Amino acid sequence: MGKKELKVSLFLAWRSLKRGSRSSALLTILIIGMCFTNMIFLPALFSGIGQGITKQIVDYEIGNVLVSPQSGNQYVTDLDATLDLINGMPGVERATPHFSKGATLKYRQRILGASIRAIRPTDEKYISPLYSKIIAGSYLGEGDTGEIIIGKTVAGDSSVREEDEFQASLGGVRVGDSVTIEYGNGFTRDYRVKGIYETGWNSADSTGYVTWTDMEQVEGKTLDKADYITVKVKPGYSEKFVKDMLQSYGVSPRVQTTADLLSKGMGRVLQSFAIINMVSLIVSIIITTIVLFIVITIKTINSRKQIGIMKAIGVDKEVIMHNYGFQVIILAVFGILLGAAITSILAVYMTYNPIVTPEWSATLYLTPMDLLMNSLILFAAAIVAGYVPAYQVSREDIQTAMRA
Amino acid sequence: MIRTTDLRKVYQMGDVQVKALDGIDLTIDKGEFVGIMGPSGSGKSTLLHMLGLLDQPTDGQIWLDGVAVNKLTDYEKTMFRLYKLGYVFQDYALVPELTVSENVSLPAMLRLDRNEEEIARSTTEILERIGIADRCCHLQKELSGGQQQRVAIARAIVNKPDILFADEPCANLDTENSRMVLGLFREINDEMNQTIVMVSHEEWHKEYFHRIIKLRDGKIIDYGK
Ligand SMILES: Nc1ncnc2c1ncn2[C@@H]1O[C@H](COP(=O)(O)OP(=O)(O)OP(=O)(O)O)[C@@H](O)[C@H]1O
Ligand SMILES: [Mg+2]
Repeated sequence: MGKKELKVSLFLAWRSLKRGSRSSALLTILIIGMCFTNMIFLPALFSGIGQGITKQIVDYEIGNVLVSPQSGNQYVTDLDATLDLINGMPGVERATPHFSKGATLKYRQRILGASIRAIRPTDEKYISPLYSKIIAGSYLGEGDTGEIIIGKTVAGDSSVREEDEFQASLGGVRVGDSVTIEYGNGFTRDYRVKGIYETGWNSADSTGYVTWTDMEQVEGKTLDKADYITVKVKPGYSEKFVKDMLQSYGVSPRVQTTADLLSKGMGRVLQSFAIINMVSLIVSIIITTIVLFIVITIKTINSRKQIGIMKAIGVDKEVIMHNYGFQVIILAVFGILLGAAITSILAVYMTYNPIVTPEWSATLYLTPMDLLMNSLILFAAAIVAGYVPAYQVSREDIQTAMRA
Repeated sequence: MIRTTDLRKVYQMGDVQVKALDGIDLTIDKGEFVGIMGPSGSGKSTLLHMLGLLDQPTDGQIWLDGVAVNKLTDYEKTMFRLYKLGYVFQDYALVPELTVSENVSLPAMLRLDRNEEEIARSTTEILERIGIADRCCHLQKELSGGQQQRVAIARAIVNKPDILFADEPCANLDTENSRMVLGLFREINDEMNQTIVMVSHEEWHKEYFHRIIKLRDGKIIDYGK
């Protein structure tokens, strides 16, 4: 197979696509483009969701490393000493405690059960972007008492009737309003709503935050214990390193990194995502292969006589095979380019308009590597699908072909 | 130029054996314009296919230009057809997606001894010669039957083949166009000493041939010499 032959194959392929049925070529390209989109969209969406959830868990729940109470204990005890110890360790940016208490919130006619979290507002800023998610009013100040910031879900919307609400709320609390909170221990206090925030992370948005000082008044004593401690790792240090440090200092045997926690809870979710991705990948490949196989088979069957004639006048069978091969390659390249364009546009669109649900919000997480890998897979499938019928028809003997 | 000995072709149709060619011995010299005639089913096309390396004989030998062509491999036969043989078929057999000049150039494009310049020049020359140069950029569907057959002839002779084979090239044409095609064959035969083997069953074609080989039931009944 020389250069000249390949050139003639390419020439024949190009002419055939250009002067043959326009609509059939365009439809084939469209189908390949759609298969490509289908192949890449779900996996990219799922990894977008996965990334979104992971980020929110890190931001609003556990930081980089989570220190839980020793087994058998409900709380991390000896809090101040523990915090000092952790904050002094290499690789630790900041450690801060969370302490939650079940409570009933009352506002006008509405009553809502929620859990109220006590935080240290300044330290919390190192761990969580909560302070930047205030949509009305302001963030908690150190030492604030009788003041609370609540999530948008808790605050609610006065224009939505109670029975129409997706999630129960206080029915439209505004900054400056007073909300009465009765804690599980019977302590009751009127809070002024200092701020309303929206993080997009449901469990954060359906709670309220007060200061550590305020919670000490609720408890009636200094609060030297916490549900857990979240730790932010300094840039350049790994979570694992800090975890190992914490354990070797004997802080608590129950120290987990984000990765540890995700591999348990999220692992299951990600695993089912992976299965769905695999199915969608295989289905797309099969569809593309079958479509191209049919398109090329029809093309070759319709031109059997012509193939016989070309062979009769001295066109080698390899030239004829590559003619159809090149047609598939050209169609596949255009189809893949179309698919890449569609997915890229979708990715850009979803960056600005993410899919938002109460549990997560998702953008398309798409790397050039994903695009490349999927292109190669689809391309390989296309070549197989095209060359099988091309090979078969090019081997047919001249007499049989010409009589067709 | 062409020689066969005891050429046979047997088609197996279930239990029945059809002897399409039943022991053909013939010789055709360089520069001859030979007509092959005979009733339908007498084996004319079959003989032409054997001589043109488009099919494999059941038995017997064929020499083209001194080469024992039965012994060639598939690829060698393809190359032999490309470099030494030209064909004109009854139904023109052009590539519908190629223009007139692309159709004519196609066999030349595959030859290693032709560069693009030569191909372009010989294509223009041949199109002018057969009087369809003004149609060079049209597609097959935009041409009349006579014009299509002229393009097919141009394609067959552009490579200056040693032998030109034609299987009833006038079957789909009216008398006027048939005369044009036959006249063209006559001209290239005269001017370039082109060997031509043509199958026909029209009596009036006889006047164009140097010699007529008559077939019946797969046997030669008249060598015309
Ligand atoms: N592929 C084939 N299979 C079986 N029999 C065949 C085949 N091709 C030709 N034959 C038979 O061989 C014989 C010769 O056929 P051929 O086509 O050479 O005739 P012909 O002289 O060209 O006839 P026509 O003038 O009708 O074209 C016929 O009896 C035909 O039926
Ligand atoms: Mg015939």
